[in-house]
Amino acid sequence: MDKDETIDVLKDVSFVMKYGSFNIIYGPSGSGKSTLLNVLTGLQKPTQGEITFDDQNVYDLKPDELAHFRANRIGIVYQQNYWVKSLTVIDNVAMPLYFLGYSRKEAHAQAIKALERVGMEGYTKKYPTRLSGGEQQRVAMARALVNDPLFIIADEPTGSLDSKNGDMIMGLLKRANKEQGRTIILVTHNMEYLPLANHLLHIQDGQVKELQGQNIHEETMGLMRDMKKRIDQLSRDKTGDEK
Amino acid sequence: MRLSLNPFKRGLKNGIKPVSLNILFFVAYNNLYRNKLRTGLTIFGITIGISAIFFLTSFGLGLQDLVTEQVIGDKSIKAVDITSPNSKIIKLDDKTTNKLSNLGSVKKVGRSYSFPGSLTYKGAELDMVTYGVDENYQGLSSLNLVAGRLLKNTDNNQIIMNRAALTALGIKEDKDAIDRAVKLTIPLTGLKTDQKEIEDTFTIIGVVNSGAGGEVFIPRGKFDSAGIPYYSQVKVVVDDTKNVPALRKQIESMGFETTSPIDTLGQINEIFKFFTIILASFGAIGMVVSVLGMFNTLTISLLERTQEIGLMMSMGARNRDIRTLFVLEALILSVTGAVVGILIAVVTGKFVNLVMNIFAHQRGVPGSFELFSTPLWLMGVMVIFMVIVGNLVVHFPAKRAAKINPIDALRRE
Repeated sequence: MDKDETIDVLKDVSFVMKYGSFNIIYGPSGSGKSTLLNVLTGLQKPTQGEITFDDQNVYDLKPDELAHFRANRIGIVYQQNYWVKSLTVIDNVAMPLYFLGYSRKEAHAQAIKALERVGMEGYTKKYPTRLSGGEQQRVAMARALVNDPLFIIADEPTGSLDSKNGDMIMGLLKRANKEQGRTIILVTHNMEYLPLANHLLHIQDGQVKELQGQNIHEETMGLMRDMKKRIDQLSRDKTGDEK
Repeated sequence: MRLSLNPFKRGLKNGIKPVSLNILFFVAYNNLYRNKLRTGLTIFGITIGISAIFFLTSFGLGLQDLVTEQVIGDKSIKAVDITSPNSKIIKLDDKTTNKLSNLGSVKKVGRSYSFPGSLTYKGAELDMVTYGVDENYQGLSSLNLVAGRLLKNTDNNQIIMNRAALTALGIKEDKDAIDRAVKLTIPLTGLKTDQKEIEDTFTIIGVVNSGAGGEVFIPRGKFDSAGIPYYSQVKVVVDDTKNVPALRKQIESMGFETTSPIDTLGQINEIFKFFTIILASFGAIGMVVSVLGMFNTLTISLLERTQEIGLMMSMGARNRDIRTLFVLEALILSVTGAVVGILIAVVTGKFVNLVMNIFAHQRGVPGSFELFSTPLWLMGVMVIFMVIVGNLVVHFPAKRAAKINPIDALRRE
């Protein structure tokens, strides 16, 4: 590949996410999901186009304003758990508030409330790296909720969890959407969660297909059928090999 | 690409408030505390470097003070001694001294005569240097009174002697000399005076600790009434040390010679300036090693925490917050190292000084001495020096940290 050759990861992408919606982005590996999330979180400026928020192009903001936008508006949950390892659970959860200029006392009060929401209030003094994967992900959810964000971006948050912990995290996202009216932007491979969405973005080879309402149900059923066919095919292939 | 996230209730630009410095300090402190061994070793390195520089510099300054004390003693550096190179032509008389006292920066003038004389006590006769002095002259000479009192301008047949004179007379205790009567003879041959000599009996009223040879001080009036036409020496004191050079020039232009303790002090300072720099340079070798250690620690810390930095940025940290975080870590290391280093140097200095004093006492050296000078300004300079060094050392790691791309950092394993 030529050194200066550019690859368009996302092409002709245009969609609107409504306040309070539950958006799911799904697609195969390398399809551009992570790039789309990075663009949405204000971390990666698109080479063309814009992300508007209240009629304001996010990437027109000055670096400090963009940082403030992230601290103030977005809560992020990653598949892998990232922590400031020298700090305890409560200080890690309070971190986004620190970047909003809160004092430790004010931020801790908010952090305890967020930890209560995910049932982790008893772990404030522990170090997050010493918790189990499920516990860490719940603390990460508390961190994503602590700044009272308008939207929560979850990048395959159940990817490294067992089904029980995965369901718990999805339950927390559902509650954040239904009870607190937060906009959810979820990236997942797990098709069983697709029906949770009221706005589905199927991304493949950098192209985004938008689905809403009844179409989501049909898309999910179609994907399920494809998957069943694939499972049946694999079973037949395996039986043939054994014979 | 056009993506609309609407409609949201809060504006973007309302109330941007930066992260408080004490929170960044808290994070920096915790990170250093988490890596106790590495932090401890880095601070230890800085401590060694700073204590070496401080110890050697304070030794240089201590020696300088010691030498200055021995050479200058209690002499005021605001005082200027005036003599005439040829007393018969350029006379240091009342007219001249009045002129001197009217010079702008002159605050006080003291006059003195000095002649050889002989002292008779209990049948023994001893040669002494005799000074005829007034109150001002005594004050400007900073005579170290050890018994009795100094002369007043109203005194007539009173006398002050130095310890060397007392020893020559066989008086062991300073207090024993007080109120004893001595006969003093001062020949005034070769001078156009009313009297050929001053001869009188004086009562000892004070003892001073000055000079190695026998010296006596009598009221200046005795010489005035003998009709001596000029003073041997005049001392003037100026209002401010910085006016001394200009005044000296002015007086020298009148044909007189001037000397000042500043001359000697300047020479001592010049010699010890180089001596102290050489000593501090030895300490600086250790400092260079510790600075490299600090740079290494900060760089490793940066590499280890790339992901953490990416996380903080994705949560809203600004570039300058990340830079400040690293600067604070460097400052915690350097200031702690500096403070501990100074404390160790001071304690070591006190110990060495104590041992040296004990040795000196055992070899019959009277009194005590301070080999190390630990002024507050030196401590301040050391701390400020380390703050500057810390800032310089952290410059590149902090700049690198602030430029980290959060996406790349979070992808990093």
